[in-house]
Amino acid sequence: MDKGNSTLTLKRTAGTFRPLALTPSEDLKGYILAHLGRAVLFLIACTSVIAIFLIFLFVIRESVGFLQTESLWGYLSKTGWYPQAEPAKFGSVAIIAGSLYVTAASLAFAVPIGILAAAFLSDIVSFRIRAVVKPVIELLAAIPSVAYGFFAVLILAPFLQKKFGFPTGTNALNASIILAVMALPTIISVAEDSISALGRELREASYSLGATRMETMFKVVIPAAHSGIIAAVVLGMMRAIGETMVVWMASGNAAQIPHPWWDISQSVRTMTATIAGEMGETPKDTSHYYALFMMGVLLLVLTFSLNIVSEYFLSRAKKATGRA
Amino acid sequence: MKLAGRMILDKTFTTLTALSVLLLSVILLVVLGPMIYRGSGAVIFRGTVEFRKMQMGLFERGDAEALDAEIAQAQEVRDAVYRQIDEFRQGIDTEELNEKARKIHREFGGELRSNGITGDEYSELRSLTKDIRDKLEEASESQDKALIRRNIEDVLEHQDDDRLKGTLAAGFFPLAANFSKAVENADLAKLSQYTEAIEQVEDILRQLFGPKPGEPTPALARMRYGATRCDQAQILLGKLLWIEKWVQTEPGKPLEKIKTPRSEQFAGTPLESLPGFVEKNLAKMLRPRLTFYWQYFIDDSYNSHYFGGVGPEILGTLLITVLGMLFAIPLGLVSAAYLVECASDNLAVKIIRMCINSLAGVPSIVFGLFGLAFFVLYLLPTFGLPSQGCILAASLTLAILTLPVMIRASEEAIRSVPQTYKEASLALGASRFRTFVTVTLPAALPGILTGIILSLSRIAGETAPILFTGAVALGPVPKSVFQPTRTLSYGSYDMAVGDRVAMMVPHNQYGMVVTLVVLILLLNGMAIMLRGRVFKKLQGR
Repeated sequence: MDKGNSTLTLKRTAGTFRPLALTPSEDLKGYILAHLGRAVLFLIACTSVIAIFLIFLFVIRESVGFLQTESLWGYLSKTGWYPQAEPAKFGSVAIIAGSLYVTAASLAFAVPIGILAAAFLSDIVSFRIRAVVKPVIELLAAIPSVAYGFFAVLILAPFLQKKFGFPTGTNALNASIILAVMALPTIISVAEDSISALGRELREASYSLGATRMETMFKVVIPAAHSGIIAAVVLGMMRAIGETMVVWMASGNAAQIPHPWWDISQSVRTMTATIAGEMGETPKDTSHYYALFMMGVLLLVLTFSLNIVSEYFLSRAKKATGRA
Repeated sequence: MKLAGRMILDKTFTTLTALSVLLLSVILLVVLGPMIYRGSGAVIFRGTVEFRKMQMGLFERGDAEALDAEIAQAQEVRDAVYRQIDEFRQGIDTEELNEKARKIHREFGGELRSNGITGDEYSELRSLTKDIRDKLEEASESQDKALIRRNIEDVLEHQDDDRLKGTLAAGFFPLAANFSKAVENADLAKLSQYTEAIEQVEDILRQLFGPKPGEPTPALARMRYGATRCDQAQILLGKLLWIEKWVQTEPGKPLEKIKTPRSEQFAGTPLESLPGFVEKNLAKMLRPRLTFYWQYFIDDSYNSHYFGGVGPEILGTLLITVLGMLFAIPLGLVSAAYLVECASDNLAVKIIRMCINSLAGVPSIVFGLFGLAFFVLYLLPTFGLPSQGCILAASLTLAILTLPVMIRASEEAIRSVPQTYKEASLALGASRFRTFVTVTLPAALPGILTGIILSLSRIAGETAPILFTGAVALGPVPKSVFQPTRTLSYGSYDMAVGDRVAMMVPHNQYGMVVTLVVLILLLNGMAIMLRGRVFKKLQGR
């Protein structure tokens, strides 16, 4: 009827006759659109890169002020943390030690249990039981850290104090136990993935030589899957080091190195808890403020390097199972 | 021999692995069980008449007439308690007694004059009341029971004197009677201790029943009502029945708690039976009733969560979570789509992947620092907004935090869509974009939804990133996204460690954290179920 409609019909008929032929302008348009679209998608996909970049940039930017008044070496080598004193002292050794102490203790609980549980899930139990146990582990991972902290302060701390007669229930032991629980799901799932990725051949070879299941596990499977297990431990460690609420609530927050070192019932303070506890009351652009951001930089560097380590082991694990 | 040893070791190993998994289940139960049990007490409990009074006073909820009737019934029994105490106090308060006696004597003179009584009769009556007054005074200051009894008897002899009937002087006799009743069996040396003990009792009663009728209404809402819950009332009753003391039994040992019955404190006095009376009639005075307080989830709180619920906290958590997901979902989805559909294995993609993994490993508190430095201190002032923690800053921080979770889950979901779907669509002439939107995305949707729910639950539970970027412990309900808000996560922290008042209301402490935990577990349960269905569908293929 009208002109526009008839051209449309014309085009459509032309299209059905020559489906793949495009005019040069259509071709160009499609090319440009496709590449433009890709570029836009690429940019959006780069959000994570930008985010990481911004995180480093802004956390470091706020911490630089610290170096103008204090020395980094003093920060890393002295023990006294007295930000309110005159003159203020920012020695973070005890706090860094607290972080490492709690992390190490929690791993001491979590790694054996985690590897045993991973072995159970991958090699021992039937598929049906696995389907029940997996959600349990997922729920353990899903409980928010503040709820764990709540548990640590109001239920575990009084229990420890009463049961073992500790002077205080909020101490390194309490924090380590809860951190172990929080690191367990990570450790189990990564370790289980790498153990079960090994395939049947290795195991069957071992069984055919007359090895028991335990011998197969410890002498064949775990050595072969060691890269993945190390990655699991490192990832669990990252979880424990970076955890804030639990250690803030449960560790007692005393900036001291336990003495004697094996006395786990003493209070410690970690880097994350220091930031969380003090940043709220610290005015901007004071040396205390810078010092706290410096602690953030330390944490960032620490977890970033741990992350690289875990990636290295994970890729090795991938390669190893690819070969097998 | 050796084989047997190896078999035993093997069995031990198997048992140990099973035990470790059992341990995990036990941990889950130990962490969640008591919390959920005690937290449910915030919603389901035996509420007293004080609770209904509080609901009416603070939230204007309930049937006013029925409540008034109930209060009146309870008040009747409570008045008996108050009366007992008042009588006893008047009896033992010798200063007040003397004061009153003197006043009666003084004013009696005036009364006589105004009645036109003069001369001998006047002086006779005056000396009579003076005599009574002196006897009362002597009795009240004496420690000798025989003397007291004699004096009181002397005073009460005049009770039937017609000249005193109907005059002010008749006021002497109740005074004397109260006094004699109070000190009849009491240990007179302890008179001063009684006053203190009564104060303690009255304090406990105030906590149980609220302020006495006639007392001014306290400004603090939490002082206006008595024990609103049966469990609270039982604890207070325990305090009323027993006096706790921390005593050192042996040198060098920690203090021990020793309980003595409070009735011993009042041995021999009319108040000896009072704690027992309260215990017996507690139900009549408080009228407990099983209450389902579902409004806990919408009510605002009063006096640092002493009364009320977690409404604003839930609202704040939802606001931050939803806003955060509005940023995280598109970014995460597009990133995942790019990584699966467009990207080859070149350097740029490797860097992107590495950054995603690093982002997942950044400690949550560092996200908080970043949010403070970037959003609050840099971005907001740049746009001319006040540089304070706000919902927007908090949700942006959390969006970045959850981005890796979102990307990984969506990537996996998109990757698990069978290649044949895409190929069929492409073979029909659809463009790649069209294929992705109309074929791949719907097929991957359940998996993506799982990822979204998991990210949601992650965001809702995080505390450390919002410490400095938008969470407050107390404050008004936010009116825009540029204001800070209360959240369940920060509220749980605050009630666990920061708040003294919260320690007095454990049910509200647990209620807050359980609301958060249940919310998150529900989300996770949904995700697990959804994934199970996707898995079955993929297997059935």
